[in-house]
Amino acid sequence: MTDIELMEKLKSFLGDKIVEMSNPGLRRVFMKVDPGNLAAVAVSLKKDLGIWYIAAISGVDVEDSFEILYHFGHDNGSLSVRTRIPKADPHIESISPIVPGAIFYERELQDMFGIIVDHIPDPRPLVVPDDWPAGNYPLRKDWKYERPPEIIPGGKQ
Amino acid sequence: MLKRLTRWSRIKSPWILHLNSGACNACDIEIVAALTPRFDVERFGVLLKATPRHADVIIATGPVTRQIKDRIIRIYEQTPDPKFVIAVGACAMSGCVYRGAYNIMGGLDQVIPVNVYVPGCPARPDAILDGVVKLLGKL
Amino acid sequence: MKFTIPIGPQHPALKEPISLRMTVEGEVIRDADIRLGYNHRGLEKLAEERTWIQNIYLMERICGICSHSHTTCYVQGVEKLMEIEPPKRGLYIRTLVAELERVHSHLLWLGVAGHEAGFDSFFMYTWRDREVVMDILEMISGNRVHYAMNTIGGVRRDLDDLQIKKILDGLEVLKKRTEYYFKIGANEPTFVARLSGVGYLSKERAMDLCAVGPTARASGVTRDVRKDDPYAAYDETPFDVCTADTCDVLGRTVVRIKELFESYKISEFLLKSLPAGGIAVKAPKRAKPNEVLSRYEAPRGENTHYIKSNGTDKPERLKVRAPTLANYPATVEMLKNGFIADIPLIFAAIDPCICCAERAVELVNARTGEEKALLFSELRKLADERFKNPSLKRNAVWPF
Repeated sequence: MTDIELMEKLKSFLGDKIVEMSNPGLRRVFMKVDPGNLAAVAVSLKKDLGIWYIAAISGVDVEDSFEILYHFGHDNGSLSVRTRIPKADPHIESISPIVPGAIFYERELQDMFGIIVDHIPDPRPLVVPDDWPAGNYPLRKDWKYERPPEIIPGGKQ
Repeated sequence: MLKRLTRWSRIKSPWILHLNSGACNACDIEIVAALTPRFDVERFGVLLKATPRHADVIIATGPVTRQIKDRIIRIYEQTPDPKFVIAVGACAMSGCVYRGAYNIMGGLDQVIPVNVYVPGCPARPDAILDGVVKLLGKL
Repeated sequence: MKFTIPIGPQHPALKEPISLRMTVEGEVIRDADIRLGYNHRGLEKLAEERTWIQNIYLMERICGICSHSHTTCYVQGVEKLMEIEPPKRGLYIRTLVAELERVHSHLLWLGVAGHEAGFDSFFMYTWRDREVVMDILEMISGNRVHYAMNTIGGVRRDLDDLQIKKILDGLEVLKKRTEYYFKIGANEPTFVARLSGVGYLSKERAMDLCAVGPTARASGVTRDVRKDDPYAAYDETPFDVCTADTCDVLGRTVVRIKELFESYKISEFLLKSLPAGGIAVKAPKRAKPNEVLSRYEAPRGENTHYIKSNGTDKPERLKVRAPTLANYPATVEMLKNGFIADIPLIFAAIDPCICCAERAVELVNARTGEEKALLFSELRKLADERFKNPSLKRNAVWPF
């Protein structure tokens, strides 16, 4: 289905859950929803529109909130759903019960940003090492890293 | 007399262990391509082994990530003496493009002592052969 | 009784170090757990401190086998952010290098599959033919791996007539050899018996777990970004999407061999109809604040980059999702109810990116509790013997 058809169908099935929608380029549709409606939107996408494939979940650190984007793909392009959650209380509902393939991306969100995903089936850390000190979230803008000095064997002391 | 015999046999058949410590895999494919009929490192007596307990030479690639640091030290200690380490690629020498990242130690010589450095990104199979032969020449 | 066997980080079927913990009951695997993080290099944080052009060289070194796919995906996204359009000749050359990279990656995988199945001569043959493609790529770009052909606004090097003629000759040679492999694969009964029925993934589970690339296409899911969302020169090139119906490792082998033939067809079409003109346009230093999603079909599946800019000459956020990460949940599913002897084959079938080396597996004897480190070659010998004189009958019923 083309972009215009997709936007019409989204309006008819989801109606008032959509805060805003845009079509910035060919085969790309961006949509904004509230964090509370996310699970209902995912169920509706899978059942009514037949969009079952999630490509990636990315998080962005905007000044005092996190913006999370869910990139879905369909037969003729992609649909990205974005929500915003405050930094002071970063909770978001998990969509793994609906789309089981999203579990790894949600675990990565937990490691890298410190976002707490509620009702996630498997909350272990994914990418950080075993001896990583807790409370360090590398992809936040205010997290800086100081490299320890390097010893060059046989070189200048 | 026995010493000369052992030295001759060690030079003529070095068995290698291939170690990947978080690399992008380009140097690793070039190491395996060195085993294929075009470059053929097996004519020097080199054999690719699975376990560190059988190996003489450790060929390592990749910048050392924090997670794999302890495992590398354990593997190095499991290899019996005399042992040599060849660091292949710019990542194993100093970290290549990843210098400064929070998860990288930066170069293999921060963790284990290295004997031969083979530069390149990735190092060509000819260069890896050259490195192995130079190591054998020094023994 | 259930026992847990750790495999890795030095790993059974090539690749970046990764740790698998299998819970086994006798010889049958009941559950598998994947522990990533050995290869986490903090790229996304590094990318925020480098300019747009410096990031191309960082993106190249994410993976050595599919390096062109990461750079092309990134450069496509940045070109949309800067609102520039590369010329047609540049797009054709970019697509040509992409298809040649697909050829080299699938030949590499065929060798690996042969090695894991015990067929070492097949491994040596395919890698010898892979050298033909590596010579072509070295002639075009100057390096065997990490060909830095892309720049923002087009490509960096041009092709002349002598090079085009040499590429066409090389493709002819490869076509004959690939037909020979197809004949071997289809007619060699031990090879087929070793691969069929292993690593079963049904179509519904492939869709639920969002598998990508040949892993999904072998289960009958027709999803190929080159057809659904065409980029570069794919909307002007005729080709077919290759699928298979058997849902196991044999299907994945068939899909990859079919894709090899498609790649030869596409490369010849691109070379014969290469348009004249420039190869790159000049790109500005800064990009306006905007965001873009870029998708690309790498040899292993779909590669997704999400780039956000904020008006300066460095990106605000760069997110990379590589195809193998998307296939991990599907791998866990495939490993359940398989045999220990099939682990390397199943893992190699999702094409995890790097080359072979033997690794040691520690087995805990169920009855006496003693631990023994088994060489991978011993494990493979056990597997071969088991398949030669199976204690089970060929048409036995699975025990669950």
